[in-house]
Amino acid sequence: MQQSLIQALGIIDCTILKRESNRQFQLLHCNEQWFYALAPEAIGHETFEFAGNSPFLEDFFIDAEDFWQIGNDGQIQSGIWTEQSKDRLLRLEAIAAVAKGESYLIINNLEVEYERQQNTLQVARELLISNDKMLAQHEYIHERLDQVLRQNQTLQSLHEPIKRVIENAEFGVIITDASITPINQNPNAYLLLETTDNEFEETPFEIMIKLFKHQCAEYERVFDTASRWHGELFWHKPPYSSKWLKLALYPVKDANEKVCNWIFIFSDVSRIKYLMQRNEKLSLYDNVTSLPNRQFFWQKLEKQIEQEKPFFVVYLDVKQFKQINELHGHQAGDQILVELANRIQQCLSESDLCARIGGNEFGMIISGTNDQTICSDLVQRLIESAELPLYTDSKQKVQVSLSLGAAHFPSDASDSEELMKFADLAMFSAKKGSKSKLRFYSKALKEESMRRLELENALRKAIDENQFELFLQPIMNLATGVITKAEALIRWRMPDGSYTSPDQFIPLAEQTGLIIPIGKWVLSRAVEMVKVVLQHQPDLKVSVNISPRQIADRQLFEFVSKVIDHSGIPAQNIELELTEGVLIDSYDRVKKLLEQVRDIGISTSIDDFGTGYSSLSYLQKLPIDNLKIDRSFVYDLEQNENDKAIVLAVIAMARSLKLGVIAEGVENQYQADFLLDNKCDIAQGYLFSKPLPFEQFCDLLIAQKHAKKT
Amino acid sequence: MIQKKICLLGPSGVGKTSLVKQFVEGIFSEKYLTTIGVKIDKKVIDLTIEQVQLMIWDLEGIDRYCGFQPKYLRGASAYAIITDQTRSQSLVEGMEIHRMVREISDIPAILVVNKSDLDVAWHWTENELNGYSKEFVRSFSTSAKTGAQVEEMFKFIAQLTLK
Repeated sequence: MQQSLIQALGIIDCTILKRESNRQFQLLHCNEQWFYALAPEAIGHETFEFAGNSPFLEDFFIDAEDFWQIGNDGQIQSGIWTEQSKDRLLRLEAIAAVAKGESYLIINNLEVEYERQQNTLQVARELLISNDKMLAQHEYIHERLDQVLRQNQTLQSLHEPIKRVIENAEFGVIITDASITPINQNPNAYLLLETTDNEFEETPFEIMIKLFKHQCAEYERVFDTASRWHGELFWHKPPYSSKWLKLALYPVKDANEKVCNWIFIFSDVSRIKYLMQRNEKLSLYDNVTSLPNRQFFWQKLEKQIEQEKPFFVVYLDVKQFKQINELHGHQAGDQILVELANRIQQCLSESDLCARIGGNEFGMIISGTNDQTICSDLVQRLIESAELPLYTDSKQKVQVSLSLGAAHFPSDASDSEELMKFADLAMFSAKKGSKSKLRFYSKALKEESMRRLELENALRKAIDENQFELFLQPIMNLATGVITKAEALIRWRMPDGSYTSPDQFIPLAEQTGLIIPIGKWVLSRAVEMVKVVLQHQPDLKVSVNISPRQIADRQLFEFVSKVIDHSGIPAQNIELELTEGVLIDSYDRVKKLLEQVRDIGISTSIDDFGTGYSSLSYLQKLPIDNLKIDRSFVYDLEQNENDKAIVLAVIAMARSLKLGVIAEGVENQYQADFLLDNKCDIAQGYLFSKPLPFEQFCDLLIAQKHAKKT
Repeated sequence: MIQKKICLLGPSGVGKTSLVKQFVEGIFSEKYLTTIGVKIDKKVIDLTIEQVQLMIWDLEGIDRYCGFQPKYLRGASAYAIITDQTRSQSLVEGMEIHRMVREISDIPAILVVNKSDLDVAWHWTENELNGYSKEFVRSFSTSAKTGAQVEEMFKFIAQLTLK
């Protein structure tokens, strides 16, 4: 009856077997057309034993037997497999089931399902492969061009293979100078945009720049801040030609982090778009995260504006995502994005929208509110959720932080482009620092970003025009009153002769990467100074501050050792100062660096000690020489018992770990006496000397030498 | 006759199924047809000392649509990681798959760089390639289209299964 019912329903093409004992089955229902091809031994028998013709099924029996032995109701599946019968391919799946104490084996013929799944996967995988190839080509040509252009080589001296790749590339390449004037456009750029070098026709560069300007709210910000950009542009040439172009736009920066060229690499992705359009879901949804894509987001934004109800548009950027991709691979990067997308969505209500609008960028619409608090509360929840650890398939832990910018409709802007531009600007200003942050757009923010740009340009000029000076602040032995060390401190001399404080420009230099050339200059200059200073005092050390961004620079150690080697000074006369935060954020990298510098004789100090999250474990594990007690604890020593306790604790900790201890910011005799009484005998501060120009510092050393003699 | 199971693993679209088709049936089709699940083919290889029946498990490409399924490696005597020399990423992904297999098994593995009939369009240097190859017993440059090195590759893997 069961069998006839199944046949009558005719909905499942399957074979059902009841297990009698190991490998022995009773045939309850069978599609003879294909099952006998799989198990000819069953022909003419109600009960039979599998002869082992199918290796896949044999393998599945190992799991199935375990499952049947346990005997709990439920089922396990084998996964799809293909079996070659005499004249055709069978697409099958086996299920081991237990129901009411009886064991069954069901084999489904999934021919129709297989074909349907194959059609979908076929499109998806073709897309994946096309994208993969294109991205790899873009990345390769970008890296090579970047390398060559950075070395200030002219395009004429491009290596022959790269020249050939550019000339014959299936994609368009445009190279401009720093002022965005084209200096090279490859043949395919003309071909793709159906133009020629006839002076009456638009050049590929003119077309691309126009498309980018009109279709992307990020246009100004990308060029103003020398950022990369990836995305799609739609090009239409009346009457018939139109293409979807994938553009990757990169700035090329020289050793001073100054933009020297821009590279535009673009490909025709119309075929990919066509493939996507075969499936409506793919054309408006991102195929990695399944979130709505950039096109969908813009449509929704326009609709939202038409409704004239207030909302916030939030631009979200995943910080340092490039590094995640580089470190864990693109596949892991994609997984991280998928998980992030899920977390973001869980924080939004049904009336809100989240879309993937760029590689590591998401756009959100927070509907129906004028209240910034509602928006920032929501974003706060989102940050908390996003910052929880993420894991790749290979169980690698990854943590991300976010930069978010928000603009409000209608108070900040009333058209979609302005809104996105402002949200993008606010997001960019939230990029400062490594922590997650939300910034709301405001006129003040715009002005701040203008000021920042001006300062950044002035800083670049300062590097070019050598407007920096290195001062030295003496570090004293409190017991002997002798200068034992000096800390090198940078000063920016303005054209009017005044000095800008490092507090004002170092954070910006750190953020823009200008700290790399500045840091190199500081180290080279400090080494030059040591060379002179040693003539007056051979055992004097000069300590140089190293910033987090410098730590991330893989060439740092190579540079340090090269500069020291080149100068001929003993490495023992140089000390590096790192802040506590750097130790925690980049433990592995710092450990390696500290081991390398110790090997060549350079000592190290932990600066601003006590202000970070000091942990004894890393102090023990890292090759550190000194702790520098932060000035904030020294400042109020006379009045504040807590500060006294902290200073005593740091001194005790340093002694037990056999580390040197240096107090910063000593300004009065009480502080100096307290430190000396408590066995901290090295200190710096205005009580002894402020940071001095090099010549004055040398005078001080000479005076000290004479004083000793007399 | 001795029977040995081997697995072909790799990202999608690198030509795993085409290699098997060339080896077992001597045919090649330009049309890419994605594999779903597993397909097992058998072929007897004469290794002069003895004959081996290879059971070749051609596994669905591992990508964002299909994860790595360790259970299919059960009982295998060797495996091959297949990559495609026209796609840089296929080697990165191939190495990742190799690493995942290594977590559960220490059977011998070979690296296969397929599509040697096409121009090399990946940008790995010889040094980088040698570095990756070192993690395998041997590497082969094959073409499922022309058949170049296909027979040799399967013969070598059959020999490996006997060690």
